[in-house]
Amino acid sequence: MATKAKGKFAFSNIFRQQIFIPLAALVILVVFNLIADPSFFKITLGTNNAGYPILSGSLITILDYGSELAILAIGMTIVTAATGGQDISVGAAIAIAGSVVLRVLCGNGSSDELQAPIIVAFLVSVVVAMLFGAFNGILVAYFKIQPMVATLILYTAGRSIAAWINNNELPIVNDPTFKYFGGLIPGIPIPTPFFIAAICVLIIFLVLRFTTLGLFTQAVGINESSSKLNGLNPTLVKFLSFVILGVCVAVAALIKVSRLSTINYSVIAKDIEMDAILAVALGGNALGGGRFNMAASILGAYVIQFLTTTLYKFQVQSDALPAYKAVVVIILVVLSAPKTREYLNALGKKISGMFRKEEVQA
Amino acid sequence: MKKLYAAMMAFLLCIMVAGCGSTPATNAISETETEDGRITIGFSQLGAESDWRSMNTESMKTTFSTARGYNLIIEDGQQKQANQITAIRNFIQQGVDYIVLAPVTENGWETVLSEAQDAGIPVIIVDRMVAVEDDSLFSCWVGSDFELEGKKAAEWLHQYSILNELAPETLHIVNIQGTLGASAQLGRTKALEDAAAEFGWDLLEEAPGDFTQAKGEEVMAELLDKYSQLNVVYCENDNEALGAIEAIEDAGRVVGSDIANGEIMVLSFDGVNRSAVQYAVEGKISCITECNPLHGPRVEAIIEALEAGQTPEKFEYVDEAIYSCFDQITELTIQNQSYPVTILTPDMPEL
Amino acid sequence: MKGLKNKFKNMSDTSLLLTITIVVFFVMYIGAMIFLGQGFLKPQTFFNILNANAALIILSCGMSLVMITGGIDISVGGVTALVSMCCAVYLDQHSGNVPMSILIALGIGLCFGLVQGFLVAYLEIQPFIVSLAGMFFARGMTTIVNTKPFNVENEAFVALKNTRITIPGMGSYNKLGDYVNAYVEVGVVIALLVVIIFFCLLKWTKLGRSFYAVGGNQQSALMLGIDVRKTKFIAYVLCSLLAGIGGYVYFMHVGSGSASHATGAEMNAIASSIIGGTMLTGGVGNIIGTFFGVLSLSTIQNIVSSAGFDQAWWTGITVAAMLCIFLVVQSVVLARKKVSK
Repeated sequence: MATKAKGKFAFSNIFRQQIFIPLAALVILVVFNLIADPSFFKITLGTNNAGYPILSGSLITILDYGSELAILAIGMTIVTAATGGQDISVGAAIAIAGSVVLRVLCGNGSSDELQAPIIVAFLVSVVVAMLFGAFNGILVAYFKIQPMVATLILYTAGRSIAAWINNNELPIVNDPTFKYFGGLIPGIPIPTPFFIAAICVLIIFLVLRFTTLGLFTQAVGINESSSKLNGLNPTLVKFLSFVILGVCVAVAALIKVSRLSTINYSVIAKDIEMDAILAVALGGNALGGGRFNMAASILGAYVIQFLTTTLYKFQVQSDALPAYKAVVVIILVVLSAPKTREYLNALGKKISGMFRKEEVQA
Repeated sequence: MKKLYAAMMAFLLCIMVAGCGSTPATNAISETETEDGRITIGFSQLGAESDWRSMNTESMKTTFSTARGYNLIIEDGQQKQANQITAIRNFIQQGVDYIVLAPVTENGWETVLSEAQDAGIPVIIVDRMVAVEDDSLFSCWVGSDFELEGKKAAEWLHQYSILNELAPETLHIVNIQGTLGASAQLGRTKALEDAAAEFGWDLLEEAPGDFTQAKGEEVMAELLDKYSQLNVVYCENDNEALGAIEAIEDAGRVVGSDIANGEIMVLSFDGVNRSAVQYAVEGKISCITECNPLHGPRVEAIIEALEAGQTPEKFEYVDEAIYSCFDQITELTIQNQSYPVTILTPDMPEL
Repeated sequence: MKGLKNKFKNMSDTSLLLTITIVVFFVMYIGAMIFLGQGFLKPQTFFNILNANAALIILSCGMSLVMITGGIDISVGGVTALVSMCCAVYLDQHSGNVPMSILIALGIGLCFGLVQGFLVAYLEIQPFIVSLAGMFFARGMTTIVNTKPFNVENEAFVALKNTRITIPGMGSYNKLGDYVNAYVEVGVVIALLVVIIFFCLLKWTKLGRSFYAVGGNQQSALMLGIDVRKTKFIAYVLCSLLAGIGGYVYFMHVGSGSASHATGAEMNAIASSIIGGTMLTGGVGNIIGTFFGVLSLSTIQNIVSSAGFDQAWWTGITVAAMLCIFLVVQSVVLARKKVSK
């Protein structure tokens, strides 16, 4: 009897847990794919034309292409928690950071040899992305402009700045090692982006575990003035959250440009800001700031990629994809809205009340 | 608040005054222009989506430089017709001497072209065509015969299949199209579709790749997932071909001409991208049909003719070659006209 | 001087921000007239700005309305594209008639408004997420309706599209010495009507005042007996309805259906509203300001291209710089005002 009660308790607890939302979405998608086409889960080991082993299959694609989104979701979650708003300039910032990487690697125009080591190019792009993050941070934290509006500036200018950095040329990196970051490291059959994302996730969990970053951002997000009274500096916390997002942007940008070995200013990482925000929302985090669950956000990012890949499998045109995504999002958001839950709870009580009455009558 | 409305009224008055006073003012400007001796050209470029496009813009810039006595105003339409229409209206208001238009799509230019005609400004169309009923709306057109390009590529594939004894139904072709509605896309697609019908090729699917590498790669990855049997990719420009090759190699397949042994053949257009030409030398791209982007000198010749009061040819086609590293096909014959194939060898100098 | 200072202090946030916007626009335009001359001296340049931005003016009005209530709607660009595509397909492939196509446009707008309004106002879901989904849906549906961009050749529609309202006395002489009349398109008249109607609505009706109240402070609005949910709901419905009208005006301007129509229009509308002095926190804003916001935004783009910056990126950078300056000025001015109070 006791175990039964406990089981019931745990069960209802899962419903309340934040991670339930992305988890439920994932389960639905998995079940759907299992019924529709079990070959979705097939992973095959082949060799690519360079003779190295390579794993291929839809699940690998999801892990591969979901990586940038997961990395961005980390930064976006922190920004959301601290400021109660979202950064809509991440796509444009990726264009800038990617452009910087190529500029440092290729110098002026495409040449076959790298002008600088890749690590230098990456570090320069990290610094640049952090600076742009700092710009957003200053507007939000010091000038008290709403995050969405403040980042609208960089959203408008970002791709133009990216084109300007490389003089509107499209340099191509011919060095094969540059491809490792977005492709495969010879001998390892799993795409590199997955490892990069895993490292980022590991770092952020260590940071959250061993520093007060998580606590501070949540405190500032929940109530700015009371956090100030408790000796925190909300301005600094908000500012830092944007700088952290800047680092995430630089990492995602490296993967993005490495995939292509070149850049297209108007197309690269297009609409990724929307997906990143969606990942945060899907993770059940309040977009108004405050409490956050990092694991749920990251899971949310992969769920979005899962959805995208599933839709591709069903031969949905890539341009029509957003329509289906929208329907899924609306269903998820409506179901997870507190108001809907209230209605449902009330309805549930009514029904169980009816049952109880029947029991009594019986 | 009342002051604000007063200010607004004052502004409208300003415009009115300017409107009435504009007659002498514009005359003064056009006089100074003639004294200056410079010819002002407004160039509405449709975007910067590919290397071909960048070369095209560059060709215009070098031809119509300040040093050579021109004043060139370039407006980038960013792939939107609305932007280009706005740009042309700006040119008209600025009173340029000539308008050069590289239209993003073929349709919907009547209104703005007739405005230019009303303003007395000759319009030269480059690259893609405009579909207008009244030919007199533009002075002339400079560009490529896209359908001929497509026919060349198709004929090359046809000859290749005969030489290698490949049955037509074993050619499983996918077409990565350009931006839908662009002349290059229409011409090249039509040529392929006609050839597929004529020779009995298996044309699996046509999907738009927007002339970009990123989209080309994305589309190719999808197509590879969908059709395991595909063995020929017809890319409507170099950038798409680069993306497609990337996707094919990522999927663990091999690009090359040896279809019988499971290689995937890539056909491409333009021939201005250095990596693409390099790929063609290596045999990764089997055949590239050139599309000449150097329109600047041709447009200049037209403008010189117009300045001298002559009537230039209405349609001017630029000369275009076809490149391949496969040395058995040296000549293509299309409609009784023969076109030589330039055979690429590794020790060839830069193109 | 002192009187001016007092006046500045006593001004409401709305009219203060409005003044800044209008002054900046005048300075910019008159500056362009003096320093660039040429095209800017011709009134038609100004009318061209109106012609090209009539749809944006309408979209921005709706956006301001929603922003005043403290929300946001980023689906307007998508709705515009969907409306033009649906109308184009209806007119061209189903040989439809113009009045019906207008009804389709309004119907699409209304549907988006009802759904989004319900989700935001009654289910209390974040407006950003709701309208994000709305945008995705509209953009996706546009390609589902038709992938290829095409031009409408329906005669009645083309006639409507080419209808021009000439403005007497504002024309100019062309190169050949002929007189060319100045004109505006039908869309401009609709846009101006929308501006006037919504200006009156916000200023003199109970509903208009309740928008400000809801955006300013929901609690006190509730205490004043305003139905907050209903007010928000109406704001979203009106915004999407305007997006439908704006979509049709856009369609009349370009005369074609394409999935890439009006990309980034939502951001331009938000930017215009902000430049026009509407604040995203809600409660502050003015339709006249929004109108001038659109004009400022397009004038600066016009100036950039006329001044000979041939690269496309300059437009993006200048617009962003302008937005940045406006935001900082607004935040500084409002902060100082609070202190001086």
